[in-house]
Amino acid sequence: MTIVKPINTVCVVDDDEIYVYGIKKLINLKQLCPNLIEFRNGKDAIEFLMNPENNDQLPDVIFLDITMPIMDGWDFMDNYAKIKPQLSKKITVYMVSSSINDEDIKRAKAIADITDYVVKPVSYDKLLKLFQLAA
Amino acid sequence: MSDETYMSIGDNPMGFYALADQYLVNQQLHNLIESTNTGLWERSITTNEAWWSPKFCELLGYAYGELESNYLIFIQKIVHPHDSEMVFNAFQSHLKTNTPYKVELRLLTKANGYHWYESSGKAWPDKDGELTRMIGGIIDIDTKKRNEIKLKRNEIQLRENNKIAHIGGWEFDTKTNDLFWSPEIYEIHELDHDTDINVSNAINFYEPPYRNIITTAVNNAIEHCKAYDLELQIKTAKDNVIWIRTKGVPIIDEHGKCIALRGIFQNINEAKLRELELHNSVDLLSDQNRRLQNFAHIVSHNLRSHTGNLQFMVNLFEEVSEVEDQKEIFNNIRTISESLANTIEHLNQIVKIQTEISNEKQELHFEDFFNNTINAIDNNVAETGAIICCDFTSCPTVNYVPAYLESIFLNLITNALKYRHPDRKPQIICETYLELGHTYLTFADNGLGIDLEKYGDKVFGMYKTFHKNANAKGIGLFITRNQIESLGGTIKIESTVNVGTTFIIKLI
Repeated sequence: MTIVKPINTVCVVDDDEIYVYGIKKLINLKQLCPNLIEFRNGKDAIEFLMNPENNDQLPDVIFLDITMPIMDGWDFMDNYAKIKPQLSKKITVYMVSSSINDEDIKRAKAIADITDYVVKPVSYDKLLKLFQLAA
Repeated sequence: MSDETYMSIGDNPMGFYALADQYLVNQQLHNLIESTNTGLWERSITTNEAWWSPKFCELLGYAYGELESNYLIFIQKIVHPHDSEMVFNAFQSHLKTNTPYKVELRLLTKANGYHWYESSGKAWPDKDGELTRMIGGIIDIDTKKRNEIKLKRNEIQLRENNKIAHIGGWEFDTKTNDLFWSPEIYEIHELDHDTDINVSNAINFYEPPYRNIITTAVNNAIEHCKAYDLELQIKTAKDNVIWIRTKGVPIIDEHGKCIALRGIFQNINEAKLRELELHNSVDLLSDQNRRLQNFAHIVSHNLRSHTGNLQFMVNLFEEVSEVEDQKEIFNNIRTISESLANTIEHLNQIVKIQTEISNEKQELHFEDFFNNTINAIDNNVAETGAIICCDFTSCPTVNYVPAYLESIFLNLITNALKYRHPDRKPQIICETYLELGHTYLTFADNGLGIDLEKYGDKVFGMYKTFHKNANAKGIGLFITRNQIESLGGTIKIESTVNVGTTFIIKLI
């Protein structure tokens, strides 16, 4: 199983440790991508992206949860829109949540920087598609 | 001339019977009386003898001579039964005190039922100076009288209707600044009807927040010919605050200028209070609805996230071959199973709130609950070095559901300890007070504080946590709020980041 090269780094922003463990394990197992960075809330992720020192470590894909402490997924997107022009790389953002609430889905679709809304759980097939789409 | 004629009738030396003859032979007198449409009558005061002139008979639809020349029969048969006593009394008072005899009475016409007539007359002395007879005339006032009665009835009806509807009319002359109120408006203001009223003291009856509104509306009506229709509060002369509706319409002259305002003024207090109450219920209901819906989403989200993880781990378990990995995944599955049980326990707690509402309220002492809570968490208190003090002297007791009060104390004190500031020892002050008949309970801390502008609407949401804190589960405040609101209270938060947070609870 080979995956298109460009995806070098994936970033998971989620406070659900089991989910993050699962994603990490799956990516390693299937060798989908060599680097993975993880954050437990939106604020830590934004701070990482903003820091010019991290320029060469910027992710290709972000899997963003909605419900998180300190800074949730929505607030993250507000801040992301502000810092996006300074980023040296095009990043694909997927919103990944257990919520099947219509309001959440509509709200995510209305945000231009979000490529798609993905309902958890994320299966291997789904993950693969997301990687291909982002490549 | 007529005076002379009457004089000559009264002084007629030939006696009673001669009168008719004289009347009939006096052509001039006859014509004169015909022309005024006045029928003449004459009666003896001492006997029942009477005489009715041709015009008199004609006015009642009879031929001359058809009416019996008997006063008693006239009273019994021709005068309306309801009027005969009044006629008799008027006669008596004329004879005794010489008050003018002038009555309005109903007489039975020959063919058209009762008609209204005005009858007036005068008693005349005979040659010995005795008052022996009365002479007078009647005129037909039927149309006028019927209109009058109709008008009066309408007026009474209008007034009664106004009274029932608590509605009055008013008019304001923009030139003279004269303000006229109908009686019902005085009633609504609980004012004496003869009180002097003008625009400025009328406006002063309005409660302060509404004075500007009514002043602006009146000015707009006068200057821009704009009608208004407002529901406002006034304070009556007896200090009762009531809701009224006031409607004003400009009266415009041919130049398009407002010359007067006319309008209605209605007491709508009861209806308005009911409406407001209904509004409150609707607000409360939609609030509850919103909370329920929010709750349903939370349940769905939380259960889904656990089952999703479970599915995820089971699938992964099948993929991995290393024993180490399998062990790790199994541990995760165990964690999920525990979390699932916890989540369901939380949901149970929330569902229980609704069923516990029926629990008996009791007279509870704040101090007991405060002490019990401190005892229950004394480990936590000692560990954090917290200073927790209370002052319940302003309001030592409340009638409340014991389980809820316990939960409020426990949740808010542990919440304050949980979000303590790392640089200082926690201080919590817990107080009660009474305001406008409501019992308030407050918890003030010197903790981390929270950015309300950012999170204000989410503080009491389920699983909402705002700090990097391992203990933060975000269920406590959600439950506390639901319990408080289920008993009709409210909970509010005031907070400054790095200074502290105060929760203000209106219990009842």
